[in-house]
Amino acid sequence: MKFKNAAATGAVVIAAALALSACSSSSSTGSSTSAATSSASAGVVSPLDSTLKGTITAGGSSAQANAETAWTAAYVAQVAGVTVNYDKSQGSGGGVTNWLAGSYDFAGSDAPLKAAQQTSSQTLCGTGGGLNFPVYLDGVALIYNLPGVSTLNLSTDTIAKIFNLSITTWNDPLIAADNPGVTLPATTITTVTRSDGSGTTQNFANFLSASDPTDWTYPATNTWPIAGTSAQKGGSGVVQAVGAGAGTIGYADHSAIGKATAATINKVAFSQDAATAAFTAGATTVPTTTGDLSQKFDYSKLTGATIYPIPLISYQIVCSTFKDATQASLTKSYVGYVASTIGQQIAAKNAGSAPIPDSMLTQIQASLANVK
Amino acid sequence: MQSAPTSSAGSAAKATGNTPLGGGGSKDSTATKRSTRVRPGDFIFRGLSTGSAVLIMVILAGVALFLIISAIPAITADWSTNSDLNTGPTAAFPNFWAYVGPLIWGTLWSAAIALLFGAPIGIGIALFISHYAPRRLASLLGYLVDLLAAVPSIVFGLWGIIVIRPFLLPLSDWLNANLGWIPLFGGAVTTTGSTILAGALVLAVMILPIITSISREIFLQTPRLHEEAALALGATRWEMIRLAVFPYAKSGIVSATLLGLGRALGETMAIALIISPAILVSVRLITEGQNSQTIAANIALNFPIATTLQRDALIGTGLMLFVISLAVNSIARAIVGGKRGKRKKGGGKSSSPSPLSQLPSGDAAVSIALDDVTREGRATDVDTEAHISEDDVEGAGK
Repeated sequence: MKFKNAAATGAVVIAAALALSACSSSSSTGSSTSAATSSASAGVVSPLDSTLKGTITAGGSSAQANAETAWTAAYVAQVAGVTVNYDKSQGSGGGVTNWLAGSYDFAGSDAPLKAAQQTSSQTLCGTGGGLNFPVYLDGVALIYNLPGVSTLNLSTDTIAKIFNLSITTWNDPLIAADNPGVTLPATTITTVTRSDGSGTTQNFANFLSASDPTDWTYPATNTWPIAGTSAQKGGSGVVQAVGAGAGTIGYADHSAIGKATAATINKVAFSQDAATAAFTAGATTVPTTTGDLSQKFDYSKLTGATIYPIPLISYQIVCSTFKDATQASLTKSYVGYVASTIGQQIAAKNAGSAPIPDSMLTQIQASLANVK
Repeated sequence: MQSAPTSSAGSAAKATGNTPLGGGGSKDSTATKRSTRVRPGDFIFRGLSTGSAVLIMVILAGVALFLIISAIPAITADWSTNSDLNTGPTAAFPNFWAYVGPLIWGTLWSAAIALLFGAPIGIGIALFISHYAPRRLASLLGYLVDLLAAVPSIVFGLWGIIVIRPFLLPLSDWLNANLGWIPLFGGAVTTTGSTILAGALVLAVMILPIITSISREIFLQTPRLHEEAALALGATRWEMIRLAVFPYAKSGIVSATLLGLGRALGETMAIALIISPAILVSVRLITEGQNSQTIAANIALNFPIATTLQRDALIGTGLMLFVISLAVNSIARAIVGGKRGKRKKGGGKSSSPSPLSQLPSGDAAVSIALDDVTREGRATDVDTEAHISEDDVEGAGK
């Protein structure tokens, strides 16, 4: 009988692990979804077949969860026979794993399929593999808490040095050089990072390793690579910790920062337009298979007064060939709606994301048309 | 359970007065056996209880098997070259053991600190309830402590973040400034408060109900005669507790503490929320970046983002937690068993076994419920067949 406690403990661990949503729990604007009925005359339009019936099962990234809620509400308002279940508790990794196992019609993921995942997706999707569609665009915000300093500007170089822990006080000459005329206190800097794996970390690390490889020598992965920071669970944990401690600076999805103060990066403040401009200026398609639209940012092009330097993309991943024709038509209809101008506007309004430019939406629609 | 015959045997023995320990019990039980007729209910309940017992073994074996089978690919993989394992949460570790080692340390370390605070307070509360408090206050207090067990750990986590973290900040600053030369309080002092100290304190509160409930039940079972004898010899209340209650309850306290430890080892959500973790071995209590991560919290934090093999690695760490819990329970058994053996050798009449030693150490509520059943027999100093093992009968018979 003495095994019983151990068994219970083990079971609790597993159950808890399964039940936890650990990605950014971005609780943004009150999600009173406006079912946009006025069909925009301009932009990318995806015609909806209101006679469709069925259930779409999906899950993954919690970064796009608020947008998924908005999309689902607006979509179901027009196609009443379809139910969309998006499970954000899985996180990006879990979403892709479940999708590869055939349980999901599409996966939400902050990173496109890796080569190994693309290969294994061929058992599910045929030789065409899986397609990554960039449908969600946001920015990584740097939030800080420094009493007496209401505006803060940081250059790329300074950001890398702060987050690799080589700058340790706020009155460091490098920070002062970025902020002429601002009196900086001698407070110690506490960098706040994510303790759980996250697409936000991935995107921020991508930015650091691409823009300042001399200062940022760590791998660009979805978990924070160095100890010595204040690591918090979830985007809300980072926002909370930054709010609680003086001298802190952390990163979080812009749509999730609430009332926290964000620094300008290279003098550019986040705005939806600035994030969209970043996508237009710096994103290039790096297809892993025919019709795939995986994006890679060229961070060196993300300069200028109207371009936000740290964009964040999240994808919907679908099969190029579905096993079930019904699910294919359902998923195509939903993803098509998401990748329309209206769909992007709904997410922008309700989830605070930035609209994907129409040129990319057109490409998604074209690629989606070939999905069987 | 043969609770009905047990209590009737107990009251029968009570009526006869000073029945010799053990002898009365066995006599009674043989009488009970003879008079029992077999009814359909017997078959059904026997089947149900046997089925439940088998089921728990099957579940346990299932969990163990699942952990082992899932963990093997990650344990045997080459972590430095495997493309699945050399990125993300498992990057920068040459193999599974380098990854799980600091996690094991963190798990034990946080649980140990929690126990350091939780155990004395829990035992103190239990003693107050059982021996100091007026009856009405005692029952209210006992109810409140049990209520503490019903608070979900996520609530404790949020309480830790919003209340305990800022509350401990001045203390952390003071400790670091004045006692910083001690490694425990050294390092860069925290500014947000997400330290292992804050986490362990919340953990201590979470294990209080377990330790308190079980210790209280044990203290209440101290033979009245022992207590009165001590008082009659001129002992003060404290001396009476030291002479009569503690020796009697020693193994029970150990069991209670180790059950609390089991809870602390497996706690996930509160730790994941409060502590700013790093996968390293550290004893520092009040830093931001040098808090050892625990196994359970690490699984919770990284499971959603993990790829297939990384999930296997996390399950592997879960297997290690399983093994640790098993070891803790075994140690508890050994301690309790050892104590019992020693006392038996001493040969006093007080050689009655700890009630807990015969209980499955699992859910505290079950233990307490079972305890209550046991107490009926124990209050009259009679051990009945339902909860006595062979060697106890021998020991008592001597």
